[in-house]
Amino acid sequence: MKFNDFLDTYKGDIKEVIIGKEGKSVVIGGENTLPFHYFEGSIPHKPLLALEVWDTIPANWSPHLLSVYQDVLQCPVAWAKKCLNTYNADLVSLYLSSADEENANPTTIAENVKKIAEALPVPLVVYGLGDKDRDVPVLKEVARVCAGEGMLLGPVLKDNYEEIGKAALEYGHSIIAQTPIDINLSKELNVKLSKFFPRERIVIDPLSSALGYGLDYSFSIMERVKQVGVIHGDELMKMPIIGNVGRDSWKTKEAKESKEQGIMWEALTALTLALAGANLLILSHPESMHLVRKTIG
Amino acid sequence: MILIGENIHILSKVVSLSIKEKKAKPLQELVIRQAEAGVDYIDLNVGPARKDPESMRWLVEITQEVTDLPLSLDTTNPKTMEAGLTVCKVKPLINSASGKEESKQEMLPLAAKYNCDIIVSVLTDKGIPSDTNARAEAIMETITYANDIGIPNESIWVDPIMFPLCVDQVQISEFLEFIKLMPDIAPGAKSTLGLSNLSNGVPHHLRPILNQVYLVMLQRYNLYSSIVDSFDNALINLVKGKLPETVNLIYRAMDGDVDLSTLSQEERDIVKTVNVLTGKTLFSNSWLEI
Repeated sequence: MKFNDFLDTYKGDIKEVIIGKEGKSVVIGGENTLPFHYFEGSIPHKPLLALEVWDTIPANWSPHLLSVYQDVLQCPVAWAKKCLNTYNADLVSLYLSSADEENANPTTIAENVKKIAEALPVPLVVYGLGDKDRDVPVLKEVARVCAGEGMLLGPVLKDNYEEIGKAALEYGHSIIAQTPIDINLSKELNVKLSKFFPRERIVIDPLSSALGYGLDYSFSIMERVKQVGVIHGDELMKMPIIGNVGRDSWKTKEAKESKEQGIMWEALTALTLALAGANLLILSHPESMHLVRKTIG
Repeated sequence: MILIGENIHILSKVVSLSIKEKKAKPLQELVIRQAEAGVDYIDLNVGPARKDPESMRWLVEITQEVTDLPLSLDTTNPKTMEAGLTVCKVKPLINSASGKEESKQEMLPLAAKYNCDIIVSVLTDKGIPSDTNARAEAIMETITYANDIGIPNESIWVDPIMFPLCVDQVQISEFLEFIKLMPDIAPGAKSTLGLSNLSNGVPHHLRPILNQVYLVMLQRYNLYSSIVDSFDNALINLVKGKLPETVNLIYRAMDGDVDLSTLSQEERDIVKTVNVLTGKTLFSNSWLEI
């Protein structure tokens, strides 16, 4: 019996999603095999690691994170540059925490996003609050003001995918389709989106949770999304997957207790999701990002 | 296939109110309509009825005033069950017992005492088994116990307990396997299940096609009986052999032998539904739209 007898080829390949614009873009996805099965197929793009930046000074953030970014918290551009230049993050994910403020003005927020996007050498991932109502005016305006940047924008949910999706379509962005840890709902949203939105500009966010807080469920769902795309070749589940790990990891009791524990917590959560099939991971602490990078090579 | 009509159920407002106020008329109308629809048993679900176990006796009596069909007495409370059993004129069905200790002690013996059939589910004190093997193991234990107290396999209707499709799609296709294995697991025993649970959580207008197609699939694997919505006409026609072409299409789709391009919209929907129920395509509420 030869080694090859144990290898499989699969009928599905994950779509490549290009984030960014010409001269300033990255690609995620594109694999035709299961996560890390380099011996079975081709994985043209390793999982990318992004660090998260907020557009306001984070309230109630762990002191272990605050101390890392203390000198740049006032200025998202400086913060983002520190993530890229000092810590070598592949990308930056901007969390629109300012949308949570009373009287938040979508245009002001969007213009600030544009300023950040233009100042960076890499494309921007932008996450709204995840609130079905309040995200709509903000993300629509971000899409409009940042037209042509080709950002990865989200989350779009079952209740607001139409409005945000149409703006993203018109102004040339990709979107993050988020559903609450349920593979059937994930497919449902992709079915609805793909009626008007190109499938190769969708990234799936199955909504992950931190180690000890339901990570086993997140793993199972993410693993199945990938298997359905790769093994069964389901056209509506072939999108790359994003795992937004940092914020939840650092909210845990364990992460708050000590810096070392927090870093391990975040790194293990991210690694677990990488094994499940995440193509893009968003973390908060540079040291946990380095641990993940060292492990997945 | 033996069909048990589920429409007298305590969760229905009309039913619960009529039982509470002992109003026979609306309930008798429901019985008559179900009998006319062609079901073989009338299920009477009164809930546990802890405060009023005699409500089952009353319900059986007023039901028997308008039908000769056998009854399926549906309660988890043995006292309520026995109150109904004492007045049944035709051999009834006990719905249901399980492998839980309490049920073994108090519900199963009623089947021996009243010499009637009994639905036994795979539930045990450990919970609902998670896969085919665990289901088989759980039911074998309970059946052995039932045999020991004098209930033969032939009087036992096994309910493997089905989760809704949107909770666990994989289990739906495994389920067919379990039904196929039933004659090996418990020779002589019958099988049954609560069909409507399949489509729980699915938008209302999409539920019938799931229930209908799945029941035909189960029938192919010799499912003996099912608890069904008596007012789903198409469902009853399908399993009573009145729509042989549709049944044939479902069988061909199960065997993977269908060319979608030659089919009508309605036929295509059926094939797509088979593909979801066999686990060939991932389910979502939009499964008919793609």
